[in-house]
Amino acid sequence: MTTVLSPHPDLDDNILFDRSARTRWRIGFDRWIGRLLPLLFLVAILPILGMVYWVSEQALPTLTWTIIVGQSPYATDQLGVPIIGTFELMLIATLLSVVLGLFGGVATAELLSPRAASVVRMTANMLVGTPSVIIGFFGFFVFVLYFGWGLSLIAGAVTLSMFMTPYIFRTADLAFTSVPRHIREAALGSGAAPTQYILRIATPIALPQILTGIFLAMAIGVGETAPIVLTTTAGKLAPTSLTSPVTFLTAIIWDGFNQGSGSPFFVLAFQAAFLLMVVVVALNIVVRVVAARYQKRLEGLYQ
Amino acid sequence: MSAPAAATDGSVLSVRNLSVVAKEHRILDDISLDFPPHSLTAVVGPSGCGKTTFVRTLNRMSELTPGLRVEGSVLYLGQDIYGRGVNPVLVRRRIGMVFQRPTVFPMSIFENAAFGLRIVHEAEADIDTAVTEALQRAGLWDEVKGDLDRSAMSLSGGQQQRLCIARALAVRPRVLLLDEPTSALDPAATQRVESTMERLSEEIVLVLVTHNVGQAARVSDRVAFLHSGHLVELGPTDEILERPKDPLTQQFITGRFG
Repeated sequence: MTTVLSPHPDLDDNILFDRSARTRWRIGFDRWIGRLLPLLFLVAILPILGMVYWVSEQALPTLTWTIIVGQSPYATDQLGVPIIGTFELMLIATLLSVVLGLFGGVATAELLSPRAASVVRMTANMLVGTPSVIIGFFGFFVFVLYFGWGLSLIAGAVTLSMFMTPYIFRTADLAFTSVPRHIREAALGSGAAPTQYILRIATPIALPQILTGIFLAMAIGVGETAPIVLTTTAGKLAPTSLTSPVTFLTAIIWDGFNQGSGSPFFVLAFQAAFLLMVVVVALNIVVRVVAARYQKRLEGLYQ
Repeated sequence: MSAPAAATDGSVLSVRNLSVVAKEHRILDDISLDFPPHSLTAVVGPSGCGKTTFVRTLNRMSELTPGLRVEGSVLYLGQDIYGRGVNPVLVRRRIGMVFQRPTVFPMSIFENAAFGLRIVHEAEADIDTAVTEALQRAGLWDEVKGDLDRSAMSLSGGQQQRLCIARALAVRPRVLLLDEPTSALDPAATQRVESTMERLSEEIVLVLVTHNVGQAARVSDRVAFLHSGHLVELGPTDEILERPKDPLTQQFITGRFG
């Protein structure tokens, strides 16, 4: 025999057809919030679309293939030299910060004591919060002057890597700590040494997140100006050695705007900005593709 | 490896006065017992009695939990695995472990089974035979032999658990620790894992932690009953389950607590 629970005496069965002012106000409020949120999305996306349009409008009519690949000295009307410069800066800075960031992330997630790890994490967070111009100052005084590297490619790249490393470190740290605990136990329980666990099990699992971090750090780094402007000097040609002067895209933008709208540099600045925008968008697309592709392989792991 | 010491009485694994102490309380208190060859010992007891902690001290997995102190000794073929200079990694290669939930790695079925062999750098040809053999011993071979390259994540829960057993068996351990290996599985999968365990108990030493007295009755030949960190009773399965001497054991197996 089943017992039927009687309805709560205080609850009105007519609540489904409630027409009280309070309920109507609540329903109306929900409806308007529902209409407002898409508008807020427009507020967020309009400036971005506007920027893309504005930069493209200024850059595209005069942008030619010759401007992109041409290597006129001092980068007066062609972008080949600064593109190579940006590429070399990014290459060195990315290599350095990937190595440092990954080692740091593995150390905090797997090897260091909790206290030591928290000190490293706090330092990295402070570095992320540091204005890039201050990192530029540091690079100028330490690498350029104290180490005697001069205003050079290597000083700029190392300073830039100081700016990028904490981003890679933070995602690597997070990626390694979020490998499920039971997977870690199973690997160690199968007789894997900690380093074998890190290399064979944790790294493949953490890889999509790590790659995301690397590409995001690159996207942030490629648009940085202050740390490199303060630690390099403009080169006539593409750098030939680590101590060469180097010209790069964000410097072209910086200079172009300082020259004012009458100057030919001004248009070149827009063209450099357009190229950077394309690079950043491309990096972000790569992030999405990589993450989605690896994520598929790991489905079911975090159940 | 030196010859097994005579003092262990032919036991593969001997626990001597084992205690585990966390900050304030003793999780395990002065436990001594032997695991003879070809035995399947079920460790039963109510939740929180320390049975999982016990089995984790048998291959030094307990060290992965910070704050635990282990006293006493665990002798593997007469050698103390907690002895000075003993590498826990090597201990775990001889004394394997299977966990509550299946813990397959995100790689192929073959690579999962081969994991333990790869980390000791076995020759490729030997890995092939060892993986086949391990999958056969774990009772999974017939279901997966056609597609060993498939992702292990695509297997069912019960198959994943037997793959974990195969992974542990591939390095040919003498002892396999199973910590509630069927608690996350449905009845059919549980039955398959149980028959795998029964078969294996003829070859190696199995230590099975279970909260399920029925499972202990079905597969084990010895039962150790743990209660709040003490080894209350140890004996042949039918004896313990039918004629327990201790009132605590009696209450537990008749379902009065647990």
